[in-house]
Amino acid sequence: MVLNIATHMDYEGQHLAEKLSHIIVVVFGVIGWIIGYVNQQFSQTIMVLGVGVLIAAIVTLPPWPMYRRKPLSWRKPRKEVTPDDSKTEKEVVVPASKPKKKNK
Amino acid sequence: MHTFLTRGNALLTFTLSVLAGLTFFCFLSTALNAYSATATIDTVKVLVKNVPDYSAQKEKQDLGYLMFDLQANLDPLFNWNAKQLFVFLTAEYESLDNKLNQVVLWDKIIQRGENANLDMKNMNTNYYFWDDGNGLRGNSNVTLTLSWNVIPNAGMLSIVRGSGSHSFSFPNEYTNVRAQ
Repeated sequence: MVLNIATHMDYEGQHLAEKLSHIIVVVFGVIGWIIGYVNQQFSQTIMVLGVGVLIAAIVTLPPWPMYRRKPLSWRKPRKEVTPDDSKTEKEVVVPASKPKKKNK
Repeated sequence: MHTFLTRGNALLTFTLSVLAGLTFFCFLSTALNAYSATATIDTVKVLVKNVPDYSAQKEKQDLGYLMFDLQANLDPLFNWNAKQLFVFLTAEYESLDNKLNQVVLWDKIIQRGENANLDMKNMNTNYYFWDDGNGLRGNSNVTLTLSWNVIPNAGMLSIVRGSGSHSFSFPNEYTNVRAQ
């Protein structure tokens, strides 16, 4: 049941999520290093970085709506009538046609 | 980045790389530290005996005995990159058999957070002061120095010798009584 929850993002959303996760982790890393240096405790640096990882996980791991704003627009499937069996209709998905270049 | 798990994996591996970078900068922040301090050493009771070392040869060798005082403030040496100090007291001297002898007589591990302001009186040594031969009796220049090994969280392990040493001489006669 848990495996059926949709977790997809569109491509723009994936790019945004990756960029956000990097920025959040690096910013918390720098803040943590400064805090650790001031207090002379490296454990504080690691804890602040851990908080940053949690925040980045909440912001970038679940598929929030902001990551689904630009879905790919798929063409609708077209229905075609085949010549040798006119009683049944088949659905044909036509791939996007590209202009073919002829080499001479 | 197309499933929840790949995003989570990418986040964690990136975090590990960032952590490695932060650790490297922690090492850089203390790489130029001198870790120097002054030690005040004094000897209280100095005796020498000539007995066979049963764990080595059967000939009689010189066995020194001493008690010492030690004051050294090592608190300023600790920082966020210094995990512990391994402090040891060394006796250096020259003998007929060897140009330079160095014998470690006492050591102590001080971890970060423990008291590192040493003030000890009438301390016994941890280890026997065996000489490789008979070079201690009447030896007029035996020098005691304090050194420490800095064990960092990230970076290089350095050995620093403290400034301040103490020279003494062993008596000219062997002692036969059991040293208390």
